[in-house]
Amino acid sequence: MLLGETKHPRRKISASLALLSALSLILAGVLVTLYEEQLYRAQKFQEIGVQGQILGASVAAALVFNDAKTAQEYVTALQANPELEAAGVYDEAGRRVAGFARSDTDPPPERAPAVTSYVANNRIYAVLPVNQGGAAVGAVYLRANLDSFGRRLVRYGGIILLVSMGVLVLTVSGSAQRALTLANTRLESQARQLAASNLKLQAEMQEREKAEEALRQSQKMEAIGQLSGGIAHDFNNLLSIVKGNLQLLQRRVAQGRTDIQRYLDSANEGVTRAANLTQRILAFSRRQPLSPKPVYLSQLVANIDDLLRHSVGDTVRIEMKLNADWPVLCDANQMENVIINLAINARDAMPAGGTLTIETANHPPSHSRMPSGDCVALTVRDTGTGMSEEVRQKAVEPFFTTKPPGRGTGLGLSMTFGYVRQSNGDLIIESELGKGTAITILMPRYVTESIPVNV
Amino acid sequence: MLAVCITALAQASQVTAAAPPESLEYAVKATFLYKFANFVNWPPAAFETPSSPVSLCVLGNDAVAAVVDQAAAGQMIGERPIAVRHLQAVSADSTCHILYVAVNIPSAEAEDAVRGKPVLTVTDTSRATMGKSIVSFVVQDNRVRFDIDDAQAAESGLAISSKLLSLARTVRPRP
Repeated sequence: MLLGETKHPRRKISASLALLSALSLILAGVLVTLYEEQLYRAQKFQEIGVQGQILGASVAAALVFNDAKTAQEYVTALQANPELEAAGVYDEAGRRVAGFARSDTDPPPERAPAVTSYVANNRIYAVLPVNQGGAAVGAVYLRANLDSFGRRLVRYGGIILLVSMGVLVLTVSGSAQRALTLANTRLESQARQLAASNLKLQAEMQEREKAEEALRQSQKMEAIGQLSGGIAHDFNNLLSIVKGNLQLLQRRVAQGRTDIQRYLDSANEGVTRAANLTQRILAFSRRQPLSPKPVYLSQLVANIDDLLRHSVGDTVRIEMKLNADWPVLCDANQMENVIINLAINARDAMPAGGTLTIETANHPPSHSRMPSGDCVALTVRDTGTGMSEEVRQKAVEPFFTTKPPGRGTGLGLSMTFGYVRQSNGDLIIESELGKGTAITILMPRYVTESIPVNV
Repeated sequence: MLAVCITALAQASQVTAAAPPESLEYAVKATFLYKFANFVNWPPAAFETPSSPVSLCVLGNDAVAAVVDQAAAGQMIGERPIAVRHLQAVSADSTCHILYVAVNIPSAEAEDAVRGKPVLTVTDTSRATMGKSIVSFVVQDNRVRFDIDDAQAAESGLAISSKLLSLARTVRPRP
């Protein structure tokens, strides 16, 4: 409504503009007609004058020698001009020597009128002197009929019609142009709005990416937190080994014995193992951008075997069935994070202990649950409490958790799901209350000529 | 297209009216004599100044010669007055622009005298023997008319206006 109200005056203005231009065009047409009329009259006036001069020159000799017959021949020849109504030739004394008049018109005057030229009653009157050798030898009289007003109107009607047509065309094209301009303006504003919202959307997407990045990192740190209990225990054990060997070494050195190499080696090994462990944790917790690369999932799982064992603790037995040998395209670090998260979830589902099975397998198209051909499946299966159907439905929703406060964020599975979908994969949750849960990640097979072997 | 030609125009008042008296015919011829000057162009050498008179020579005595003085009195051709000269004989030295040879005098001698000179020779067909004058008066349908020998005029170095030629009864065109 508001738009319509603002548009209305503009339309009014352009309408009055069109009317104004139409009026001015018609005025121009009338002026042109009047000018044409003026030109026509002036031209005819001149024409008759010239004809009078020609007649005068032609009859000069005839007048000088009183040859009325020859003068009449010249005058008669003038009848070929349909505009001439009457003509007369007068001798030096002003007597009419020759002449003619069309039927139903007045004859030329008997006596020569005074020399003059004028327009009256839609007729041109011209009386010209006839000179020969610098002396006047007589006069000629011409009367010509201008076109009737009706005929002239018909002639100028063409101009007026053309002008009116021009006005009509202008009006029509003007309104079409106006409509087009209006539509263009509307489109332009729409395009601008679209561009603005697109910019806003891009900004939001960037924000969201940042937030997701932060979330991934915090999730990783949570996993580290979860791990730290077991890792601290392991680290302590390694320190005990080093400390015990050092004590034994000290005693042997005090006794002056030289068979100390065994203790040195043991301590060294303990230090190396501790260093390896911290190296892994640091590598895991490092903040890294997602960089998808061809990855062999079986190899990847084997590589984090240590971390997995530390994270699930002693009460849970880990079984590995790594049969997949097709590569997939994903970010290795993030995939490690996902597997450790799933393992921790599995551990939490088995407080009284149980078996954690990690399987990888090739799925050819006939067995594939992916829409597009070959894929690789990675399944993390536990023998824990399982989930009700209701919980299973909600499992991937953000902030949904069944863990007591302070133990979980409710983001683990949600982020895993997001990551898998982002890598063109799928996530399937199968669960039965009291029997356990199996979470399967399906990743499309990566096909290429040469595949880098390092992971 | 119907047109009414008004031809019967006060014919009675014209000098060429039906059955003119003899004296009128001579007066008309005398008038024509000087009026020819209006339509003839002499070479520039024929006149001393732009206002030099047109010399109208009359050879012999006849009815026309008798009224020439009266007819040409006070007449002007542009800026030139008409000077009438009555001659008894014509020689190559005679200063004439127009030469009228009376009907009772054989014209051949006079014509030979001015042959090749810019002189408009005029005579009348009513004479006994015809010479080689440029203009010859003839009465036809009770009107005074004339024949023009334009070839002869060209030989004499004269230019006769086409207006005058158009009035002539016959014209012998210049080669």
